[in-house]
Amino acid sequence: MSELIDFTLVSVALLGIGIYGLAVKRNFIRMLFAIEIIINAANLNLVAFGRFLPHSGGQTLALFSIAIAAAEVAVGLSLIIVAYRMYHNVDIADFRSLKG
Amino acid sequence: MLEITSTPLVIMAILGTVGVLLPIISIVRKEKGSNSFYAVIAFAALIVSIGYVGYQFLNENVAPAALFSEDVIVDDAFGGLFAIAMLIVALFTTVGSFNYMRKHNSPAVYYSLILLATIGMVLVAYSTDLVMLFVAWELMSIPTYVLVGFIKKNPSSNEAALKYFLFGALSSAIIIYGISLAYGLTGSTNIGEVIQGYSTLDPSLLPLALLSVGMFIAGFGFKMGLVPFHQWLPDTYEGAPAPITALLAAATKKAGFAATIRIIVLGMVVLHLDWTLALGVIAVMTMTIGNIAAIMQKNLTRMLAYSSIAHAGYILIGLAVAPHSSLGLQGSLYHILNHAVMKGMAFIAIAGIVTTLAVTHIDKLQGLGRRMPITALALVISLFALAGVPPLAGFWSKLMLFGSALDAGSTLWWAPWLAIAGVLNSALSLAYYGWITRKMYFEGETQKRVKEPKAIIAVMITSMIFLIGFGIYPEPIMQFVEFATPVISSDLMP
Repeated sequence: MSELIDFTLVSVALLGIGIYGLAVKRNFIRMLFAIEIIINAANLNLVAFGRFLPHSGGQTLALFSIAIAAAEVAVGLSLIIVAYRMYHNVDIADFRSLKG
Repeated sequence: MLEITSTPLVIMAILGTVGVLLPIISIVRKEKGSNSFYAVIAFAALIVSIGYVGYQFLNENVAPAALFSEDVIVDDAFGGLFAIAMLIVALFTTVGSFNYMRKHNSPAVYYSLILLATIGMVLVAYSTDLVMLFVAWELMSIPTYVLVGFIKKNPSSNEAALKYFLFGALSSAIIIYGISLAYGLTGSTNIGEVIQGYSTLDPSLLPLALLSVGMFIAGFGFKMGLVPFHQWLPDTYEGAPAPITALLAAATKKAGFAATIRIIVLGMVVLHLDWTLALGVIAVMTMTIGNIAAIMQKNLTRMLAYSSIAHAGYILIGLAVAPHSSLGLQGSLYHILNHAVMKGMAFIAIAGIVTTLAVTHIDKLQGLGRRMPITALALVISLFALAGVPPLAGFWSKLMLFGSALDAGSTLWWAPWLAIAGVLNSALSLAYYGWITRKMYFEGETQKRVKEPKAIIAVMITSMIFLIGFGIYPEPIMQFVEFATPVISSDLMP
């Protein structure tokens, strides 16, 4: 059981890093990385819990989640390419046309 | 075991096939324009799906609201109500996009993405397994990111999409983390087994269970636009293509509520925790901040975006008092159905105004009552229905929501305050709805009538009939909602 604690601690640390990255960074791609880190923390959790349970549901969900995260990143990067063509930079602090 | 003719599977087959085929057809035909061709196909697919849901209900093939199931999806009345609401909104969006998309490229992809997002929303409402819920949630979200940024040359559309994407991706990351905790604590991803596992949890693990429920609230709260998580919402609604705003406000928001009811409200009952107070506080904050911010807006889309935040607050009242009053969930579901039609209608009316006159600033709406009489009338009716003016449909659902808060007052001392806050907020919202009405009808010199898009008029008349008809004669809808409401009791076991 003590190994499970190790995995969970790493996962919580990754969650913290992800949230820190989202809060501090203003570069869109870095923020995307931060979100990916949170998703991977969850995947680590799922795989680690799945290892200690008698069935493989956790590993299956982790596979689903990796595939879905890839699709999400593809959409996010294509959006940022469109933005880069207009603004020539990927700093979200510059995207301020909408407010009120 | 789910039958092959059950509602979610058939909807998935119809919309999925059409949604995947549309872009292929457009590649084979090798033409850019012909917006109407694809719109008609998408329209037909949605009509067939709504017809099938209705047919299943009339033939009584639908189980009463079950909430739990061994399978990953369940064909129950609760999911059916959400499916009807979402399919109606998708239909409105498709018809409302008809004139809008004439000016833009690749209509086949656009309609196909609307259909795929609709499958996702419908499956969220039907799913009884966390894996299915997560996959359906992403199937709903990813197409809408693309749809919001669909107008590539327009900086505000792109900016809206970027903001929506960041918050949406964060919300799904938080949801998958919550799922991983729930799975680790209970050893299952089936919602029924998770809830059962929570009720027999070792007390030392209770904080982790709380954390996972909190993560679900945060994750779903982003899509619902609850107050600490609402910052993206006005920007996204303003920048998105006008018909897509209707899809976001009226449909994806409701999918968040469906998932919340399936997981959190039941988890709340089983964990014996005071989540009700937390949800009550969020409800009051959401409606107050939404309405106060709406008053200060100068842009019609943005004003309605804040009003849609406020309505998430009203719906949340019902969820907060659900364990103490049987009317709570019923009122919420009723308001969800009504709000889908009202908000869908209001945003499609805006889409009509944007398509013909290209204005959204409130000062520029002067004299709209004479320039576009049908659209203006429909917008006014939807606004008054949103404010809850009798005898429109919005009145009955608000009455039921506030009534449920009073009803729960016997066991929950602070519940009547929710009703008071709700009534005050409705009065506040009437102020800015009235202001828009005044601008449209009583200000500005007489201008010539412009030609209104026929597709938009069709949507307006259909939804006006819904709002007024079911406002004067609400019995059938009330019975339907009562049938679709899951019964909650504290000895709830799957």
